[in-house]
Amino acid sequence: MRSLMTGAVVAGTPLLYATLAEVIGQRAGVVNLGLEGVMLVGAVTGFVTTVLTGSATAGVLAAALAGALLNALFAWLVVDRRANQLATGLALMFAGVGLSALLGASYVGRPITGLVELPVPGLARLPVVGPALFSHDALVYAAVPIALLMHWGLFSTRWGLAVRAVGENPVAAFAAGRNPRVVQYQALLLAGALGGIAGADLSIGVAKTWAEWMTAGRGFIAVALVIFARWQPRRAIAGAALFGGAISLQLLLQTRGIPISPFILDMLPYVLSLAVLAAWGGTGRRAAPASLGRVFQGSQ
Amino acid sequence: MRHPRLAPLARFGGLLVIGLGAFALLLLVFGRNPLRAYADIFASTLGDSYGFSETLVKVAPLLLTALAVAVPSRIWLINVGGEGQLYVGALCATWAALNLADWPRGPLLAVMALLGFAGGGAWAAIAGMLRARGWASETISTLLLNYVAILLVHYVVFGPWRDPEGLNYPQTTPFADGAILPAWPGSRVHLGLLLGLLAVAAFAFVIARTRWGLEMRAVGGNVEAAHRLGLPINRYVIVLMIVGGGLAGLAGMTEVSAIQGRLRPSLSPGYGYTGFLISWMAGGHPVGIVVAAFVLAVITAGGDILQMTQALPGSVVNILMAVLLFVVLGRPQARA
Amino acid sequence: MKARALVTVLLVALLLVPVLAPAQPKLIVGILHIGSTNDAGYNQAHAEGIQVMKRNLPEVEVIEVENVPEGADAERLMESMIKRGARLIIPASFGYLEPALRVAQRNPDVKFAHPGGYKRLPNLTTYWASTPEAFYLLGMAAGKVTKTNKIGYVVALPISFFLANINAFELGARAVNPQVETRVVFTGTFLDPAKEATAAAALLDQGADVLGVIVDSPITVVQTAEKRGAYSVGYHYLGAQTFAPKGWISGVAFTWGNLYTRFARQVMDGTFKSENILGSLNDDLLVMAPFGPAVPPDTAALVGARRKDLAAGKAHPFTGPLKDNTGVERVKAGEVFPLTDLGKMNWLVEGVVGQPR
Repeated sequence: MRSLMTGAVVAGTPLLYATLAEVIGQRAGVVNLGLEGVMLVGAVTGFVTTVLTGSATAGVLAAALAGALLNALFAWLVVDRRANQLATGLALMFAGVGLSALLGASYVGRPITGLVELPVPGLARLPVVGPALFSHDALVYAAVPIALLMHWGLFSTRWGLAVRAVGENPVAAFAAGRNPRVVQYQALLLAGALGGIAGADLSIGVAKTWAEWMTAGRGFIAVALVIFARWQPRRAIAGAALFGGAISLQLLLQTRGIPISPFILDMLPYVLSLAVLAAWGGTGRRAAPASLGRVFQGSQ
Repeated sequence: MRHPRLAPLARFGGLLVIGLGAFALLLLVFGRNPLRAYADIFASTLGDSYGFSETLVKVAPLLLTALAVAVPSRIWLINVGGEGQLYVGALCATWAALNLADWPRGPLLAVMALLGFAGGGAWAAIAGMLRARGWASETISTLLLNYVAILLVHYVVFGPWRDPEGLNYPQTTPFADGAILPAWPGSRVHLGLLLGLLAVAAFAFVIARTRWGLEMRAVGGNVEAAHRLGLPINRYVIVLMIVGGGLAGLAGMTEVSAIQGRLRPSLSPGYGYTGFLISWMAGGHPVGIVVAAFVLAVITAGGDILQMTQALPGSVVNILMAVLLFVVLGRPQARA
Repeated sequence: MKARALVTVLLVALLLVPVLAPAQPKLIVGILHIGSTNDAGYNQAHAEGIQVMKRNLPEVEVIEVENVPEGADAERLMESMIKRGARLIIPASFGYLEPALRVAQRNPDVKFAHPGGYKRLPNLTTYWASTPEAFYLLGMAAGKVTKTNKIGYVVALPISFFLANINAFELGARAVNPQVETRVVFTGTFLDPAKEATAAAALLDQGADVLGVIVDSPITVVQTAEKRGAYSVGYHYLGAQTFAPKGWISGVAFTWGNLYTRFARQVMDGTFKSENILGSLNDDLLVMAPFGPAVPPDTAALVGARRKDLAAGKAHPFTGPLKDNTGVERVKAGEVFPLTDLGKMNWLVEGVVGQPR
């Protein structure tokens, strides 16, 4: 049980950051299928920076910057050049895979200390809950507060309102005095930074190493998680924990000698997402930002 | 313009040049010689008969996976699930190969092809039905189903279909001779290439000269109007997804039968996703698909050479593919 | 007079050109890696072997390619290498066997050496080093060092060779400590650092205080063990010890250098043979890592003594009676499971928690 909780938290953290990245982008009306690529670029930049400077903090900051830069390119193509979001997103994924391989090639196998565990004094000693929740590194601790911050930002600030307005109906937003272009750029830059941090958490926090394509599809899980969370950062927390738990559940069941095929178990996150998508998503539902519907129906 | 037909081709060529130039710049930044790099790529893929035949080997599945995207795109459906559909098609074809191993070659291959198509089609139909009911966007559902499909193949190859003689390694027993798609003697260029070209031709024919093509254009042009005209939109959604998925499944069958000779998890190096890029670069246009498939086959095959001669990681060609697509996507939008 | 002198000089110069021109390499060797050569594991071991070969034979040139996916790409790459003059190809991953066989059939005058395979051709030989004895010894050391009697193993795939290693390990551990239990987690792939880290953490949470690893790169698991104060057992490459200065017990590593040198020499003088090469601790293909500070001297001595027994044939890692972990008897009393039959070992021995399927 303790393992499951710890696993859920450790595996769920990069998922949460990635989901938040996608949420803010989609709230502004932009779907980024290339989140995987952004995460990879963040992972490699974070790792290389940590190797070169010895500072995991520098690594995380560099990863955020790198992610934001890559997403800026995406923003330019999609917002200014009006390129199809889905195709551009996939191309971005390819770009991220290639770029990260290129940058990381000479850094494979370098040892780093990475993000250090910061056990919360006192709380970390609680049975079961202690190690599961209070014995992690800074990025893990920051994840939930950042999610809550984003939730507050989206729903209780003027900027958040602007983002949502642009996501619902850019034309109306424009008529109301907002500049959709600027808002979308801002959202996408923030999304890029978060995606970069998600990748950095994988390379500096969880695995403390770099390998080509180490995100292994987590960027796509995040795209599904956004729907699971109904575009709300608070729900993304639950979703990420659930899916993080599913990922580690498979490994855990093996250690217990339970004879279920690990591959069937690995399917869980995806099947779950699909079920949720069918149940809650839907092209007719009101939960999604309206202009996203047009993206998915292909007329944009 | 004096030659209006040439204009789009010239434009495409221009974009290609810009893309190649951007990648060359990147290579320079990393201290490599872009001219040598390009020379190496072209020499190894087009410079001799072996290289050329290998390029054709790569083109074959790409034609089919590109069509898997292009067919549904006629009514603006976005199928990102080519990879998964390819795997499921390969899975079904493998079932036939393993269970009907003593059949004569002709019928066995025919059954395998049929099952490949059916498997991929059924996989895509899941997403199609979800979309037709308005429950889920096919973009996301096909994407998710990709992973499920690959895991399914992992499951059978590690479990019920594992080769008992294979050191417990995840792969099926090798296919009997009758289950291997024939190739041009002396090379690996196989019947799948012909299938791919025929499929492209059929696609072109249907959209240009049949009633269905007209109806698809109507649905794709204005859903409301099409609906009012009584066109069976939902049926098209499902049918086109099935056809698209089926073609990807057929690609899976040809790969597992002609190239691999047994089912393994490493069946496809992303043919489904590359097919998506091809269809987009070509704007879903049949001739464009053939050209773009060729270009991308050259690029992806060229990645190996870059590793050998330029000391670059092979995945660096992904950047070139991405750049080319960026250039095409970011071009000034002349409403096509 | 002057013209003649000039012509003579030119002629002499022309004669000297072949002597002064850069020497053509006597042999070009091509090697394909499934991963990165810096992984402190499987691939780096092969890469080091090549480096040793180059040092021993400076007239040999090498074409080295990393991260080659199995399948059609591998085949094309091998042909490219041959086109560039390679006459000895080392496809260094199990999954390259089929493509290599096809390329070998098309190019009968090129020689191939494939690690860990099970099919041969006149120009394709197979080689590996039998690791179960080494794992038996590692198990003994680990069995003595563990305080919780629980050992965790993170393994890529349930391939026979790996299952045999784990079985030998557990049997060795049990021989010195009958209560030891080994739990195995299969990640499903040769390399996925995030999964390996999670698996390692889960095993540690379950009480294991020794972690072993059989994936391409041991870094993640060894580092995780070190961070949590657990002991670690390595594989593939000696350098992994640097990642666990305190908790390192030992490891077994492949040292292919001399073998590769021999292959190259054989190709150059035409004595290349296709055979089933199976190295062991007794020769230069395999080496056991030095014991770490966690291993007390008497344990080291015990292990050393058993090693001599194994080498002399007086002991065997798989001596019957042996039951697998579902209760089925696999080796009868008085018999042994022959090391040459490892390809058929698809079960895990009693005392190991895990599924080989």
